[in-house]
Amino acid sequence: MPLQIDPAILGKEFDRAVYGPVTAEELIAFARALGETRPEYTEPGPDLRSHPTYCVRYKGEKFYPENIPKTINVRTGLDAGKDVEIGVPVRPGDTLEVRSTLHEVYEKTGRSGSMYFVVIRFTMTNQRGEMVAIVDNRFMHR
Amino acid sequence: MRFDDVEEGDELPTRELFLAKDQVRAYARAANQWAARFTDDEGARKEGLPGMITPGNMSMGLLATSIESWAGAGTLRRLGTTFRGLVIPDRTLRLCGTLTQKDERARTVELDVWIESDEGERLVIGTATVALG
Repeated sequence: MPLQIDPAILGKEFDRAVYGPVTAEELIAFARALGETRPEYTEPGPDLRSHPTYCVRYKGEKFYPENIPKTINVRTGLDAGKDVEIGVPVRPGDTLEVRSTLHEVYEKTGRSGSMYFVVIRFTMTNQRGEMVAIVDNRFMHR
Repeated sequence: MRFDDVEEGDELPTRELFLAKDQVRAYARAANQWAARFTDDEGARKEGLPGMITPGNMSMGLLATSIESWAGAGTLRRLGTTFRGLVIPDRTLRLCGTLTQKDERARTVELDVWIESDEGERLVIGTATVALG
């Protein structure tokens, strides 16, 4: 079935969530699990900062907006990739606000039929309003 | 790494990594992604997978660590990835990269980066922007 998108649903915020305060232990555990040993990422203290991909740990409370086209079977999907623009690092004590928007929906046809891609944009800011990250998450559905 | 010390076409040092299942579980815990497909072979098979797999986010994190091992902590500005194949733990991976473009004005460089299996299959591909002093 061809994909029909109401352009009005694109770019609209469908979820907003607040997380934190972030602890030093959370930052360190995340970095160590990736094999990091550098003190900026693994030692408590004033210089401790988040690993550059720490931001992908956070998503909104709602996975998708309610008005996603019915053509897309949201029950079966794969994480197809991400684009992350990295802003200021997360520090212990920070709180993070995550705003979710439906950024893009498109269809690709391959040898095995149609695939639908849904791009959710997560915009993350800290308690000072500074941009921590903008994450475009591409999900693929058959 | 300094901007003036690199050239287009430079290859990043290839990092070879044996990714143990316990490291994937540690990541799943730390990243709030604790799910059968990332932590348990039997649970993953029930989802139709060959066994437990590595979260795409972890592959991305491993690439970020590899890039910053070369460029320096806090230098990564952007990372885009496409997850092309399943990254199965308890196997050896290679993390690779090539410098494709220098921006003299911004003093940033563009990279092509990828994770390949021991057999040379590119499981994750991506591009990155790195700020060099």
